[in-house]
Amino acid sequence: MKNILVIDDAATVRLYHCNILISAGYHTDEAINGIEALEKALTHHFDLYIVDINMPKMDGYEFLKELRSKDIPQAPAIMVSTESAKNDEMLAYNAGANLYLVKPVKPDELLSFTRILLGEGI
Amino acid sequence: MNALLEQFLSESRDFLQGIADKLMQLEENPNSTELMVELFRFVHTLKGNSGLFDFPEMTRVLHASEDLMDAVRNGRVHYSQELADQLLEAMDFVGILMDEVEGTGQLSNQHSEVSAALAQSLRALIVSAPEDSIEIGSDAISILLESSEISIPKTNVTAEKPTLNLPEEIAVELYRTAKSGDVVTLLEYAPEAECFFKGEDPFFLVRQIPDVLWREVTTLNNAPLAEMDAYSCQLIFRVITTADVIELRELFRYVPEQVNFKTLEAASFILPDGEKEEDALQDEFIASALELLNKDDTATLIRSTETMLGLVAPTLWFSSALRWLLIILECDAENQALKRILIESLHTFELPNLTNLAAEIVVEKSPVEEIIEKSAIVLSEKDHARFDMIMKSQRDVLRLPNNNNAVFVGRLKAVATTLKGCCLALNKNSDAVEVEKALETAISENSSEALLTWLANYTIPTEKTVEIVESEKMVKSEQDVEKLIISPEKETHDSSLIMPNRRAEDNAPASKTLKVDQEKIDRLMNLIGEMVVAKNALPYLANRAETVFGVRELSREIKAQYAVINRVAEEMQDTIMQVRMMPVSFVFQRFPRMVRDISRKLGKEVHLVLEGENTEADKNIIEALADPLIHIVRNSLDHGLELPEIRKAAGKPAEGKLLIRASQESDRVLIEIIDDGKGINPEVIKNKAYEKGLIDETTLERISDQDAVNLVFAAGFSTAEVISDLSGRGVGMDVVRSAVEKVNGTVGIESEVGKGTRLFLSLPLSMAVTNVMIIESNKQIFGVPMDMVVETVRVPFDQIQAIKQKQTTVLRGKIVPLLSLNELLAQNIDQIPNEGNEFATLIVRIHGENVGILVDDFRETVDIILKPMAGILGGLSGYSGAALLGDGSVLMVLNPRELI
Repeated sequence: MKNILVIDDAATVRLYHCNILISAGYHTDEAINGIEALEKALTHHFDLYIVDINMPKMDGYEFLKELRSKDIPQAPAIMVSTESAKNDEMLAYNAGANLYLVKPVKPDELLSFTRILLGEGI
Repeated sequence: MNALLEQFLSESRDFLQGIADKLMQLEENPNSTELMVELFRFVHTLKGNSGLFDFPEMTRVLHASEDLMDAVRNGRVHYSQELADQLLEAMDFVGILMDEVEGTGQLSNQHSEVSAALAQSLRALIVSAPEDSIEIGSDAISILLESSEISIPKTNVTAEKPTLNLPEEIAVELYRTAKSGDVVTLLEYAPEAECFFKGEDPFFLVRQIPDVLWREVTTLNNAPLAEMDAYSCQLIFRVITTADVIELRELFRYVPEQVNFKTLEAASFILPDGEKEEDALQDEFIASALELLNKDDTATLIRSTETMLGLVAPTLWFSSALRWLLIILECDAENQALKRILIESLHTFELPNLTNLAAEIVVEKSPVEEIIEKSAIVLSEKDHARFDMIMKSQRDVLRLPNNNNAVFVGRLKAVATTLKGCCLALNKNSDAVEVEKALETAISENSSEALLTWLANYTIPTEKTVEIVESEKMVKSEQDVEKLIISPEKETHDSSLIMPNRRAEDNAPASKTLKVDQEKIDRLMNLIGEMVVAKNALPYLANRAETVFGVRELSREIKAQYAVINRVAEEMQDTIMQVRMMPVSFVFQRFPRMVRDISRKLGKEVHLVLEGENTEADKNIIEALADPLIHIVRNSLDHGLELPEIRKAAGKPAEGKLLIRASQESDRVLIEIIDDGKGINPEVIKNKAYEKGLIDETTLERISDQDAVNLVFAAGFSTAEVISDLSGRGVGMDVVRSAVEKVNGTVGIESEVGKGTRLFLSLPLSMAVTNVMIIESNKQIFGVPMDMVVETVRVPFDQIQAIKQKQTTVLRGKIVPLLSLNELLAQNIDQIPNEGNEFATLIVRIHGENVGILVDDFRETVDIILKPMAGILGGLSGYSGAALLGDGSVLMVLNPRELI
């Protein structure tokens, strides 16, 4: 089963994303900030990361930079933000995101992107 | 209610509390950027959460709050009291909405007005900021008007049927551009009305469009600017550009549903304009022009047209058409039909056929769409856009410079994984292999060039896609080949293959806190309590084994086993206690807001200091504490602290101080509420108590000041002349006292007139298991709560003196009154002294005073679960309850406070 790490400080958002993903048959894991996410990413295999930007302790940008600098299989990362700002988007890419989506991500949108990024079809 | 909504409500309440806390802290510390950033994060997250649900009223207010806090955070707006008030009000509103959602599972539609008003007043705070005004709407339009050659058409152009109203010169230029081979695209962008609240900046977006030939902005339904709602976007942007449609799609990728692209044919620009007046020369010209056209004599036609142009007024439609004719003759001389139509139109001043030509619109296809069509997978329009978006994003990532090599390589790998995912999703496995190759090249060259090249080639649909359509079988064999290629690579990532197996064991949920129904904890607590009692049976058993059955060996083994069970039980009890422990901040956190609101209402200035918020106590205790504390704080604010003028007159600082402090003293929590107000005047209290018949005349004369002050706790006592809506609700401090005593707590008061008052509550850390001392009196055993027992002494008979018919003794230089338990329980038997003629005396502390209780003998102390008396026995206030002992007998636990 594909394993997806959902990283967000807001429990509601984590639950929202996980519910969608789990209902589509994915396995999910959660992290409440970049530090926790990094710990998990280094000890477990994930096929996709869904990353919030604004988090305490370690934000999404920092997390992705750390993640991308590690010698591990690099899974795609979707950055989710409440802002649709070009500048934020480029920052996200620079940190190592592969996609930038604006919250709230609709369920069909999230699943469609997930399936594409995981190479499972449309 | 679904789990997501429940989670949302519970988390959001935390956030609301957090926001209130931060605002309070900001009040103390208005320049702390750290606090502002945190505050912003709270509001931001809350807004993000609410966006998951369909609560537009809530989201609107939160969005406005977020924007405001963003402005504050960036220093664009100064933090002010007014701002904090507004935010608090907004958060209260959100709280009300949450209550409603919690109660009914949904929001009624009656909040939109309040919501709009709140959002507006919040936004007004942003707008009213002096510098860097971000007022949108009319401002943006006026800038737009100044900055480019656009016009707001005066004609009745409706939004549904947009007709371009181009000035002739621009139309001519556009025509020439289109004719020269450039693809001219008309972009129509109608931002949604709510876009300003979504962080979108349509004006900015439009200005990003490259290669603009012409642009205009109109209002929806041509509403006059003055009547427009500045908070909702009612604009329509139209831009004509030669930019690539792919580029434009990328630019508008977040609002694809709000943009419309049309490729404009050159002919669509031929729109003669002017006064439609008949000219005498008109018919003659048309006849000769058509004749020349038939003869294909272009040179003469041009000359004749130029001559004609010199003869007619340039403002006429006829003149305009002639100018167009000249341009067509110059640029598109081969197009006989077009010329004929134009010349014939000079009769009617209408160009019917040409408008048809102009309406011929070709929708540009994105490259991805073409690939997809050819690889025979049916994709919806949305999916096209998604593939497109992913590809574009990867290109953006690859184009970024290499600032950090490790990150760069990681990024390349991630892009490759992403692209492979896309290929596989499209069933184009061979392409995935190519991506892998490109990645290897890219990593070895340390440059993203190889992947960029692949991406660039990929988006151009050529033979590659045809291949797949033609030979489906090929794909299959390619898949096999690909497996061979990929498998050795996979071996190198051995660890990643093993991990998914390992996951099965350690897929524990990430959340480190567990929310449990309190009932379950209470049940667990009861069970553990019962176990504590049950284990107490073991020593009895051991005793019986030895004395009754004479098996000393077994007795020792039982005792050893008891020690083990005892340790485990104690640990269990401790742990479950810990689970139930809560910091007093749970109660304290509501004070800043409360004190602020009340002091405002009363016109008092109060500085609230909270200390020891991390002190912990049992949940039940903390909950029992909430109401009395609130009452006390209200009292202090209402009656204790004076108005600023009175304070100043008394030589005190205008701002009163209220200190609420929690601390732990051995197994009790001490809470103090200290104010520096006017204090309690014992004379006033005495007289009041006398008036109310609480004390008689003799007491009135004799009572000490401290005792007088303590009268505020007497039932039916309320000192305030006017019962305000704050403290006086028909209940006095006696309610506080009984609430505190219910959880085995005590309450005390100290006051000095003119200086202030100190109220203190002492509460047990936990109330589930009570430690009692067992005493014997008149051949019966009783329990006395250990937290009341100060010490146990044996008082020799000759040291008991009678003062005014009361027995006393002197203990460490202090007179201690002595009472006999038998007497207290109305049993006419004297206490039995021991062989040395000493009386076992239990010194207990009651209302801050030591009292000695004479009993027959002391026994051990035990942990019991105190069950309050129920039914008829419930009225016996002298007992606080009963408990079951290890041997199955019942222990009555005394309540010395009531007994004495």
